Amino acid sequence: MLEVRNLSVRYGKHLALDDVSVTVNTGEMVAILGANGAGKSSLLNAIGRRVQAASGTLLYRGQELSQLPQHLLVASGIALVPEGRGIFPRLSVEENLTLGSLPARDKRNTGQRRELVHAIFPKLAERRHQIAGTMSGGEQQMVAIGRALMSDPDLLLLDEPSLGLAPIVTQEVFAALARIRGNGLTIMLVEQNARATLALADRAYLLEAGRVTGSGTASDLRNDPAVVNAFLGGSAA
Amino acid sequence: MTTLILGLVLGGTYALLALGLTIQYGIARIMNLAYGEITLAAAFVLVFLFQAAGISPLAAILLVGPLGYAIGWALYAVMMRPLVARSGGGSRLEVDSILATFGLLFVIQGLLLMVFGSNFTSIAYLDQGISVFGVTVALNRLLAFAVCVIAGGALTLAISRSRWGLVMRAVALTPSSAPLVGIDVNRVARQAFALGSALAAIGGTSVAMYQTFSATDGVVFTMKALVIVIMGGVGNVPGVLVAGFALGLVETFVATMIDPGLTLAATFAIFLGVLLWRPQGIFGRRA
Repeated sequence: MLEVRNLSVRYGKHLALDDVSVTVNTGEMVAILGANGAGKSSLLNAIGRRVQAASGTLLYRGQELSQLPQHLLVASGIALVPEGRGIFPRLSVEENLTLGSLPARDKRNTGQRRELVHAIFPKLAERRHQIAGTMSGGEQQMVAIGRALMSDPDLLLLDEPSLGLAPIVTQEVFAALARIRGNGLTIMLVEQNARATLALADRAYLLEAGRVTGSGTASDLRNDPAVVNAFLGGSAA
Repeated sequence: MTTLILGLVLGGTYALLALGLTIQYGIARIMNLAYGEITLAAAFVLVFLFQAAGISPLAAILLVGPLGYAIGWALYAVMMRPLVARSGGGSRLEVDSILATFGLLFVIQGLLLMVFGSNFTSIAYLDQGISVFGVTVALNRLLAFAVCVIAGGALTLAISRSRWGLVMRAVALTPSSAPLVGIDVNRVARQAFALGSALAAIGGTSVAMYQTFSATDGVVFTMKALVIVIMGGVGNVPGVLVAGFALGLVETFVATMIDPGLTLAATFAIFLGVLLWRPQGIFGRRA
């Protein structure tokens, strides 16, 4: 579904991504694991058209995305939940969801999608009139993911959904991701929280200093001693 | 009572003018110092249409409003777009746009002086008085007031209730998030700038209906609109409407009770007071 080939991203002289190739197949959940500054967000932002790649190709269903303006991406079926969530903090939960539904290709099922989002995140239904910026970090993450779902995407890009969340809230968010995935959505997520991610994902790529240093199925990576040492805190889960 | 009603009429014009300026600044992020020139140009066009072509001012509004929109659209495309592209979304746009529109101010003013001359201009249109709550008010003022209330009210409703308004508010509040939901920020900014120009033009037609004006008055309109925007809180539509009426009332009060020469001084005294004690605006919230 998505094929990233030989992608490089530069910020001035700094090479954030160096010749990275990643593939995501339809229905898969693919994780990009790596430490701070490994280039995970650069990869997701390049696919999400928030940063311009220096070189490489982005193929989505055979269509080249690397020159597509950012605002047209969501209409082609890719929804991004960026680092920092990118919600509208001074608008209500309901208004955030409505804005999310504007680029949907099929506007007839907006009501259905809203029900689905409310079923996955019941809090968003309870607090529909609350100003999004006054909610807790986990709830704001739910607004961000819920809003992305409102656009009826085929591919959901998530940048560190667990960042800054308490462990119990992270569990809640990951449980929601499991449900979303159960609905047949293809997901690519970037995470530092390797344990929770590998428990849920099909495959993962390991990113270090802007390069892909390993990849495999989640179950293989969970038992790989090098991965256990680097990402899972030494003891196999 | 006379002061109150005349003040409300003046305030209606001010509120509409300030609404246009705050839309341009809040959504397109352009502080347009040539704003009052658009107002004046529209006022002159209305006078011309009335005197030379015999078109009634009410019909002229239907012509001048869309014309203001088209001119705003063209100004944005030709003059502002390169500045926006160069700023890359940074704060440089604010400085650049102030300098660019400051220049535009003198270009339009020069054109107005050349075409319409430097004389004071006014028209005699529906100036018979009618009685409102026991006060005699010229019909043209009431009409101008109605125009402002209808245009301003419709727009305020559209911004707070409609889907289009939601997109406008989203761009005004968090432009960086807008592309994530498929909003083309540049397109919305151009629409907002054009809409602001249309409001400036409609405000100008209401000015022409009951005031005397000259080609060099534009800067006064810009400054008053700016004072109101800052009083109401930048980007705060209800705040701007209330502040607009408040300024109209204060000016009329000062002119009738103290001295007509002091109206501008009163305006700027309020402005200074707001800047010193409540920089977020009387009705604005703290950032």
